[in-house]
Amino acid sequence: MALLETDGLTKRFSGLTAVDHVDLSVERGETRAIIGPNGAGKSTLINLVTGLLEPSEGRVAFDGSDVTGLDPHEIVQLGVSKSFQTASIFPGMTVRENAEMAALGAEHGSFSLNFLRRRDAFGSVEAIAREMLEAVELLDDADAEAGSLPYGDKRRLEIAIALAAEPELLFMDEPTAGMSPEETENTVDLVERLQEELGLTIVLVEHDMEIIFRVADRITVLNRGAIIADGTPEEVQDDPQVQEAYLGGVEI
Amino acid sequence: MSDDREPDGGAVVGRRDVALPERVRALANHEFAVVVASAVALLLFPYLLIDGLGMVADAIGYRIGGYEGLPSLVLIYGIIVIGFNLLLGYTGLLSFGHAAFFGTAAYSAGLLSSTAQVTVPGIGATVGMPGIGSPILMALFGTGLATLLAWPIGFLSIRRSGVYFAVLTLTFGQMLYFFAIGPGGWLTGGDNGYSEVNVGELLGMADFGSPLPLVGTVEYAFIGLLFLLALTVANRIVNSPYGLIFKALGENEQRVEFVGLNVFRYKLMAFIISGAFAGLGGALFVMHERFVHPATGFYWIQSGDFVIMTVLGGTGSLVGPVFGALLFEYISNVISGVTLPVVGPIGSLWRLILGAAFVVIVWVFPRGIYGALADAVRWIVDAVRFVVWAARNPDEFVALVRETAAGYRRSLMARFGGGS
Repeated sequence: MALLETDGLTKRFSGLTAVDHVDLSVERGETRAIIGPNGAGKSTLINLVTGLLEPSEGRVAFDGSDVTGLDPHEIVQLGVSKSFQTASIFPGMTVRENAEMAALGAEHGSFSLNFLRRRDAFGSVEAIAREMLEAVELLDDADAEAGSLPYGDKRRLEIAIALAAEPELLFMDEPTAGMSPEETENTVDLVERLQEELGLTIVLVEHDMEIIFRVADRITVLNRGAIIADGTPEEVQDDPQVQEAYLGGVEI
Repeated sequence: MSDDREPDGGAVVGRRDVALPERVRALANHEFAVVVASAVALLLFPYLLIDGLGMVADAIGYRIGGYEGLPSLVLIYGIIVIGFNLLLGYTGLLSFGHAAFFGTAAYSAGLLSSTAQVTVPGIGATVGMPGIGSPILMALFGTGLATLLAWPIGFLSIRRSGVYFAVLTLTFGQMLYFFAIGPGGWLTGGDNGYSEVNVGELLGMADFGSPLPLVGTVEYAFIGLLFLLALTVANRIVNSPYGLIFKALGENEQRVEFVGLNVFRYKLMAFIISGAFAGLGGALFVMHERFVHPATGFYWIQSGDFVIMTVLGGTGSLVGPVFGALLFEYISNVISGVTLPVVGPIGSLWRLILGAAFVVIVWVFPRGIYGALADAVRWIVDAVRFVVWAARNPDEFVALVRETAAGYRRSLMARFGGGS
């Protein structure tokens, strides 16, 4: 069975249908890219699945259970995590504290009455935080203030935060947006490594075709809120509808 | 800011991050050290405030010394603002209604100790108040009720954020004020205030007002111990997962939700915890003053005063707000009694002086009194280090002075064209 399935997922914003009856099915272990011209509904789709927005119609199922209408923290607790398009970190806290925050959510559940227990008594939180910082190669900067990191490092910290929640499914919203070629290269390596080492299922929204063809197993193409193509990179590349949407429409 | 004015030693010792020696810093994070240091400070505090300032007062001829009772009052407000800062400084929630918890605790602790007969309107039945004057039970009862009240008020207010949250909390506080001054008068004494407060002996042994060697009074010892307890608990909270989560909530609420934490419940906990601190303060307040009026208990100005004390002291640290409480209470209780040559008695003008102090501190020291003090200590430590360095390396010091003087002369020449 697919890890993530949406069934007729629809979101309307007062007349505008941003996501239109989307049936998406992501298998366990695959890396899926979602592409489409600006305004195609990619971000709205992610927000529907991760619980930030409530769908107008349709259902979302994760690992066989219905998660439609749950709060984001409940969906994260089930194993769906998200790295944001802008680095959504805690700028005034240290890099380590950022990672520990994320590990807290995974280790203690969504709420716990442990306000009189010392933080340093929680070894597992520290261990996860360290592991994730190591994975994104930020362990050396663990004591630096997160807000003072260079942009690329902030984005990698963002990914570490998303990972520390110990997800099965990771959404990445344009992980390389605004990065230099070198930072982009590092991030793509990271995504490939994550998938190999952690066996993550990754859903990626990306504009850079080169990256998509490198990492994605399958590609889903959205246009005006609806899926117009879904298949392997080669299949999608040759799809006339996709060429129409990209070449005939927006990109020229 | 003051760092800019540092003399020539800047290049050698003026680096901000070398600040306090590492050992001192490590100690500051140690719970036991915090407790011991605070206990010593609490023992010295009345002497500094009463005797120390009293000597200054004698020397300059103005009555600016503290009086007995002021240290207790400062600690009571200190407890409140330590808790308030967990909400404002850490979690980033600005409540304008914490008088609700302060007042509820003050009235309920007072009512617990009362022996008066009360006629319940509507039913017409006359009920005797319990007359339990144990300070410990009064504190527990007041704090407990305030905490219970913080739950529903927080539950309803936290669903909105920013200004709407602030106004909702303000509204709840004002509702209690109008209840206490009007329809609730049969219980609260209304506009006459409530004075049926009978504080009994502490643990059945010591009268609350009796003197205690070294410490002052039993009351100060009791309040001091509870202050210590409150500070320890707050310190523990800051070092628990909650401390990290509160800070994270203040920085990026959405991210907290997206690491899988229940934002609403954690914000509610911050609100309830701060309500409990305000409650403890309120219960101690009524024991100290033996009187409470709706205007001091519930009015929105009281809530605003908590905000002012917290910001004045500095929201960036745990104990910072206590310094705000100290300055606030000092101005309102001591400076207000000073008579100036031309102006005459300051009296109710004290709010004007407080306002001026507030504006100056917020402008010059955005991190509050505590931030300014921390900077000053750092500056002094650096200066002492520089002097020690200069004494040990006189040759290098002379060379440095020469070099600096030469550089200064060069820059003057460059600016003014170096005539003569």
